[in-house]
Amino acid sequence: MPHSLTGTRIRQQRGRAGLSQTALARLVGISTSYLNLIEHNKRGIAGKILLSIARELGVPPSTLTEGADSELTTALLEAASAAPDHAAETFALAEFAGRFPGWSQLLASVYRQNRDQEAVISALSDRLTHDPFLAESLHLMLSNITAIRSTAEILTSIEDISTEQRNRFDVAIHEESRRLSDATEALIKYFDKETTQNEPSEAPDELSESDATSMPLESFLVRALASNYNPSILATEYHTTLHAVFRRLASLKRSGMDAPEMGLIITNAAGQTLHRHALSDFPLPRHGNACPLWPVFQGFSQPERPLQDLIELPGGAQFVTLTIALPRAVTTFGEPPDYQSAMLFVPLDQSPWLKTSQPARDVGISCRICPRENCAARSEETVL
Amino acid sequence: MSKHVLIVEDEPNIVESLSFLLERAGFEVSSEPDGAMAMDRIGALKPDLIILDVMLPNRSGFDILRDLGELAEAPHVLMLTAKGQARDRQTAEAIGVTRFMTKPFANAEIIKAVQEMLA
Repeated sequence: MPHSLTGTRIRQQRGRAGLSQTALARLVGISTSYLNLIEHNKRGIAGKILLSIARELGVPPSTLTEGADSELTTALLEAASAAPDHAAETFALAEFAGRFPGWSQLLASVYRQNRDQEAVISALSDRLTHDPFLAESLHLMLSNITAIRSTAEILTSIEDISTEQRNRFDVAIHEESRRLSDATEALIKYFDKETTQNEPSEAPDELSESDATSMPLESFLVRALASNYNPSILATEYHTTLHAVFRRLASLKRSGMDAPEMGLIITNAAGQTLHRHALSDFPLPRHGNACPLWPVFQGFSQPERPLQDLIELPGGAQFVTLTIALPRAVTTFGEPPDYQSAMLFVPLDQSPWLKTSQPARDVGISCRICPRENCAARSEETVL
Repeated sequence: MSKHVLIVEDEPNIVESLSFLLERAGFEVSSEPDGAMAMDRIGALKPDLIILDVMLPNRSGFDILRDLGELAEAPHVLMLTAKGQARDRQTAEAIGVTRFMTKPFANAEIIKAVQEMLA
């Protein structure tokens, strides 16, 4: 059963129209209890009933099915799931976003900021634990300190030590103190360099300079139209990779060109997002936690094989996707290849590519805000 | 006959002070700085106890521990771990080590631990 916030929007519009639930149900020809289930998002709604309700409420059907911006809705749902103790009224989310757009944007923005900062803190903490330079430096310093402490303790607590042995201990303390000083200095330099050079950044969605230069916008659009936006033909014509063509295609609409709006995500095998361009109906989580059923992750199981899929998000929106995992650099014998998988996606009604005969595959955005029941890929409970 | 302690540690000044202390306490002491050579030395010397560091050149203390688990008569092991590295301790415990000493340690503590283990 498709789950969306359409019911909430119907309730909101009915209130604005000054109609009771019973009155609207009678006008549409359904029972009041059925309308009540619809309004509480417990029954899916589409087709004739949706059109009838929209007509009786005097609004276009899209007002009921699209409502608040889905990226905003997603952020608010994520905010609610991140703080379950507050038991935020997620059933009234669309109403909240619709009645208080400014507060909603503010809440979503504060939540996103907080989430991004948490991700940065987590990455830095992870780094402190696993960074080989830090681990090596700390081990070295602890060894220096251990040697100094043990030797100094011997010299101060034991009197009957031969002169030769005492001299060796003196030299040892001198050597270890110097090493400790060098290690401390190296560590300070390392942190100084880190703070100036390594500011954490989000995955970029801008086109790289080399992509822009090698595939000039105007000529690329002409060739894209001529090839019906076929990435394989374009990659051959521009002597470049499919990932580069994906990035160029995803940039067309943003550059003001009359082209289908395409979204793009590129990840590494660890699930880290390297490039992201979301669409308003297909938001992409910024830091992991994406739906593992997305074709972009399936790409890693079939490297270098071009995959075309039709997927459907919980709200019913369908997207055609093109996916391929490619090695980041030339592969070397004896070294494991470093694959990156890219998924280009376009709403089904704008897709320039041939439709696949297979039915749409159900996917989500991320588990926390996914209403699909009995999903084998679920990794955490939904808040819906 | 005095008990034999092998120190597997690559920091020469730690080896120097530990050897001094253990010999004064009546133990026979040998040392090995290279992780890859440790098992050969253990086989040749048959020590009663090994003081084993975690981070060693060429082979880690954990790898040596695993090999020791295969021996019919394994010597006692006193593991040296870094302070705060709880994960090292958990790994060593999983392999079967029961006695640890964290760096930096007090001389009296390590001598006491060795004496207790070999009593």
